Amino acid sequence: MATTKSRTSSFSRNLAAVPSSTNPGLKYGPNGTIFISSGIPDLDKILGGGFPLGSLVMVMEDAEAPHHMLLLRNFMSQGLVHKQPLLYASPSKDPKGFLGTLPSPGSAKDDKSRIRDPEQEKGLRIAWQYKKYFDEHQQSFDSIRDGKYEYCNDFDLRKPLERHFLSSQHIDCVSIQETQDLTALRNRCATFLTQFPRNDGNISPAGRIAIQSFCSPQCEYSNMEWDMLSFIRSLRSMIRSSNAVAVVTFPPSLLSPSFSRRWQHMADTLLSVRAIPDEDKELAKLLTGYQEMVGLLNVHKVARINTQVPVILEATTFSIKLQKRRFLVLECLNQAPIDSSSGSSYGTSATCSGTSKSGTLDF
Amino acid sequence: MTESICRALRDGALEGEHAPALTIKDSIASPFGFHVFTHVLTQLSSQILAGKSQSRGLVLVALSRSPSFYVDLLKRRGFDVASSKKWIQILDCYTDPLGWKDRLVESGNIAHLYSEASSRASLCKNVKDMDKLFTSIIELGKGLVGQGKVRFCVAIDLVSEIFRHASISSVAGLLSNLRSNDQVSSIFWSSHSDLHEERVTAVLGYISSMVASVEPLNQSANGLRCNSENLSLLERNYWKGKFHARFKRRNGRVRVMSEEFHVEQSIINFTPLSSEDEMINRSLLPKVQFSLQLSEKEQIDRAKVVLPFEHQGNGKPIQIYDGRRSLADSKNEAAPVATGVLQTNENSSTGEIIYLRDSDDERPDSDEDPDDDLDI
Repeated sequence: MATTKSRTSSFSRNLAAVPSSTNPGLKYGPNGTIFISSGIPDLDKILGGGFPLGSLVMVMEDAEAPHHMLLLRNFMSQGLVHKQPLLYASPSKDPKGFLGTLPSPGSAKDDKSRIRDPEQEKGLRIAWQYKKYFDEHQQSFDSIRDGKYEYCNDFDLRKPLERHFLSSQHIDCVSIQETQDLTALRNRCATFLTQFPRNDGNISPAGRIAIQSFCSPQCEYSNMEWDMLSFIRSLRSMIRSSNAVAVVTFPPSLLSPSFSRRWQHMADTLLSVRAIPDEDKELAKLLTGYQEMVGLLNVHKVARINTQVPVILEATTFSIKLQKRRFLVLECLNQAPIDSSSGSSYGTSATCSGTSKSGTLDF
Repeated sequence: MTESICRALRDGALEGEHAPALTIKDSIASPFGFHVFTHVLTQLSSQILAGKSQSRGLVLVALSRSPSFYVDLLKRRGFDVASSKKWIQILDCYTDPLGWKDRLVESGNIAHLYSEASSRASLCKNVKDMDKLFTSIIELGKGLVGQGKVRFCVAIDLVSEIFRHASISSVAGLLSNLRSNDQVSSIFWSSHSDLHEERVTAVLGYISSMVASVEPLNQSANGLRCNSENLSLLERNYWKGKFHARFKRRNGRVRVMSEEFHVEQSIINFTPLSSEDEMINRSLLPKVQFSLQLSEKEQIDRAKVVLPFEHQGNGKPIQIYDGRRSLADSKNEAAPVATGVLQTNENSSTGEIIYLRDSDDERPDSDEDPDDDLDI
């Protein structure tokens, strides 16, 4: 199950699970945090509501797979659908071209075919003797299923985002390939973030910053490791005092190990995406749904800003699947039923042994 | 497997995509990267000549061998050299990469220099300037295929040489600009992995879409002492090795393939792997759970199960099931057994609950056995 039930104390506040209709892009969480959606419904559930405003999300890329682009696309599209201003920085020469690949929210009839969250279904059927004497108050959760006002849309990766979302004034694109040093980018981010000051009681529309492949080798600053680290630190402090979320992706294999560690430490929410080998018979036997998987997502850290209680997830590794080749879905890894005739033992998945021939007495 | 590599290079790039890029890396333990490079070069050349590839020409950036070497190579492999300038152009960065000959002439030491002029090679005098290198390559390519939609391939002899002269970011910029250029169909290069720091190898792997590495047959070959007995064995094994490739596929997965190769008189032959050397990717999966969710079919079956009190209130008279007497409208077919077991059965189209009492001696509605009220 991709949900976490976080019970921080025996008293839990009665929070509205549905977003307020005045500002559908924001959701109120415990301890005064306000969430914005990541654009991927499963990821929002895993993280306990979404990305909290004021946090820095870092995504570790895998040099062999472009899955971080899927996360970025959904994040940016969600912001545009909710009319949240966006600043996008990328190492390509023409970042605006990427906007053409942003997905559009899927239509409502596609949504219904998805298996809904089991929490919402009144699933626990209780055989109660006195049921017949009472009127069963069927409270069905018919949340407003209007595409525009949902907190988190299901994005159809095959449909490009409609033009009217892209033509608004709120999108700023920066190319970071030619920049010698990072002061220009830092100033750009600072001016962007002045639009979203964090004052008590005043919720301006939230902002989103997306920086793609930050230490990409073609950028001239990419060998100045201390400068990049200090940029991230200043970005994090700027974000903390504003109502915005920044998502930065970077390939850790291109950094030296100590800097890779430092960057990971800087993140409030740390995710990583990994490629999976193709046509791997061992993995196909081990996992159900291997054929539809495109990659793996790991959640290393979940942002906890106003509290000292950490989040301990039931599972930290999820498979990235494209349902119907359109919708991004994250699922827990499920072990395939073990074929009793083959004689492989339960222990093979836990050991890292090199041989595939395990005896029947292995545990 | 080498055919898949050559096929990928031959098919080239789709519209709006970066060109496929191949890195061939070797090391001193098995220094046959150049043989693989020439193999790929000749394969691609024959595809270009036969008209089967997306590209119509090839630009070769020669850094570790002179252009005349390549001309001889093509002649040896059976290509028609006379007409070769229609489909191949060589950028000569080998003869005078840093422009020293000009400076010698300028300083007056040498009066006249013999320069090798050729219609299919043009001289590059400044390898340090990446922008100039980029424009020379593109110009040569355009000279071959003209302006417009027709594409050409680029082959770079030894990328390690360029890294000597320019910074990592500028070379990375050059390679990625070549990849993203509209007229480049595919690009491949070779490098020596022990001439660089690890970061350079990681950068090359990041930029390319296929990484091929040449490795010795046994990794421990270096550690073996050279006795007279195993010297001949070592020598024979030197010419063999393993060839691994990692393909980044469009669906985001990585295809890993391996082959063995054998070099005979500077011609390299590939054979499939002889030994079963399976590597299990256990490191990817820290924790795999059993599935706790129900599939669609299972959910439908579960929904069909009629729970004990659910069918009451349908208009039929309500009866308290005693357990000892069979119901008039019994739906269950379970025969009472002495030691009963509560089961849920999901066979047939209606789900059933089969309830078997533990014993028949108990009185109905006793406090000890609340299950008497169960109406199934």
